[in-house]
Amino acid sequence: MSSGTHHPAPILPVEQRVAALEALLTERGLVPEGFIEQITRRYESEIGPMNGAKVVARAWADPEYKMRLLADGTAAIAELGFGGPEGDHMVVVENTTAVHNVIVCTLCSCYPWPVLGLPPAWYKDPPYRARMVREPRALLAEMGCPLPEEVEIRVWDSSAEVRYLVLPQRPPATEGMTETQLAALVTRDAMIGVARL
Amino acid sequence: MTTPLCLSGLDLPRRNGELAFDAPWQSTVFALAAAVIEHAFGGDREPFRQQLITAIAAEPGRPYWESWTAALEALVPTLPE
Repeated sequence: MSSGTHHPAPILPVEQRVAALEALLTERGLVPEGFIEQITRRYESEIGPMNGAKVVARAWADPEYKMRLLADGTAAIAELGFGGPEGDHMVVVENTTAVHNVIVCTLCSCYPWPVLGLPPAWYKDPPYRARMVREPRALLAEMGCPLPEEVEIRVWDSSAEVRYLVLPQRPPATEGMTETQLAALVTRDAMIGVARL
Repeated sequence: MTTPLCLSGLDLPRRNGELAFDAPWQSTVFALAAAVIEHAFGGDREPFRQQLITAIAAEPGRPYWESWTAALEALVPTLPE
């Protein structure tokens, strides 16, 4: 069958399709000079999990900040200077000894950009998106994060309305650490909820 | 499969860091969508997001940035004048 699909097979390699889009959108005045370079640079070097790590470290170090963070994630994250696209409605969910949180986007790839940067490849892949909802305990174990049966797993499906960030548990024996030292302990995967610290 | 990043001036390592883009066309098409969202839709991400959901659902096994490209192609005819 050569027909039967609503989408004609792409004739051009994807690089050429993107070049065509760039030419078209530039002609329509939607791509200011230097815009592509600026966005790329920002997401490759300025926006990433190191931002979220600072938020987590502050919450560990400052109980009042943590309360604000859990009450209004967007506002508390903005206190540290982080915000913007895909960070408009941030909800921070706290891991405890009894509860483990993990984030997913079942429909596409929604993710809290201002604090985690762009999502890793596996986050966007169908197996993760489907299985984290269907069998989170098994998938977490496969990803190197086995959880005791008594720990409740809460899976948060990101959407256009809400982006989630996991607040990991503070590791033991870190009482004397500075915020900077604490931030260095925080990993991207722990803030997604596929790892524990 | 982590690639060390050069992050001069940042005191925090990018844990589990990996490059967001594997090829220049990927960062270009990412930025083009950002441009359309910002300059054609006044910051409203939802029209693009709906196209992305549709594109991913149409071919779940297709590489992510190719679905992103297909979504942007589908969005172009609907751009507000």
